[in-house]
Amino acid sequence: MHIPDGFLDAKTWMTTTAVGAAAVSYSLKKTKLTISSKQVPMVALIGSFVFAAQMLNFPIAGATSGHFLGGTLTSILFGPWIGSIVMASVLIIQALIFQDGGITVLGANILCTGFIGCFVGYCVYRAGMRLLAGKGRILITFLAAWLSIVAASAGVALLLAWSGTFGLGTALKAMIGWHMLIGIGEGLITTLVTGYLFERNTSLIRGVTSP
Amino acid sequence: MNEVRLTTRKWKWIGLLVITFAAAGLLSPWASSHPDGLERVAEDHGFLQQAGTVHEWAPIPDYEVAGIPWTVLRIGLAGVIGSVIMMAILWGALRSFTRIRRENDAGTNHGEEG
Repeated sequence: MHIPDGFLDAKTWMTTTAVGAAAVSYSLKKTKLTISSKQVPMVALIGSFVFAAQMLNFPIAGATSGHFLGGTLTSILFGPWIGSIVMASVLIIQALIFQDGGITVLGANILCTGFIGCFVGYCVYRAGMRLLAGKGRILITFLAAWLSIVAASAGVALLLAWSGTFGLGTALKAMIGWHMLIGIGEGLITTLVTGYLFERNTSLIRGVTSP
Repeated sequence: MNEVRLTTRKWKWIGLLVITFAAAGLLSPWASSHPDGLERVAEDHGFLQQAGTVHEWAPIPDYEVAGIPWTVLRIGLAGVIGSVIMMAILWGALRSFTRIRRENDAGTNHGEEG
């Protein structure tokens, strides 16, 4: 759901550019403080994977197509600060080199598919893990990823409505409607990749649970 | 509190690398060309024509490397180039962060050039 140039009016894209830039610089600060040198190759590879996976549009109901976004995946693996930096880098490269997503709306895209995707996905995942005391990881991961797409599409709908492109109710209904389907793909891929990369933490004695 | 952790098995990460380049180079030409969710909505509600480009100098517009006669190769190559760029930029930037921090910790901060 990369917004192209022209969909948002001046006040909306200027505001989202400013807020997006502030959010990215705060995320950079957080990332600088927390990232370890052992994580660097892993984060770089996941960024590359997110870019590649985003190219693979899958058809939906013969009418539209969706693709993986990756905010929930990167945030579950590395936390939402590193996650949002990965997402912002992917969006910047896509806009500058591949003309996918506009330039004036880069901030809007980073906020919606980057930050909303990362933080909604991460918060749902964390809350779910705490609530179920670590059980049902697969289901929680799927739900977190699915919700992150729905939330991101709602964010885009809000910005479109704020731009006066179309009414808020119609925008929300249309965007959320399609992305409830597209989000299923996000849930599946996120669940598969986390399942592949996570392993039981053997340094913990079994039976010790979090408070 | 975490009962899972990221794997440190090298083959798993190499596997992911292979999957990444297979997706970018081999699968991408067969991706669906249906309009995506937002384009679908824009079309249905009559504002798709508002889309424009302010950045006309993208080297690989629409994920197709110009000057190659085979579509499959045009798209696949674009995917591989993009994946390499992503990895290089993230690796370089993040490595400079960890290096700056290490220098700061050691009390020998030589500035931000990393």
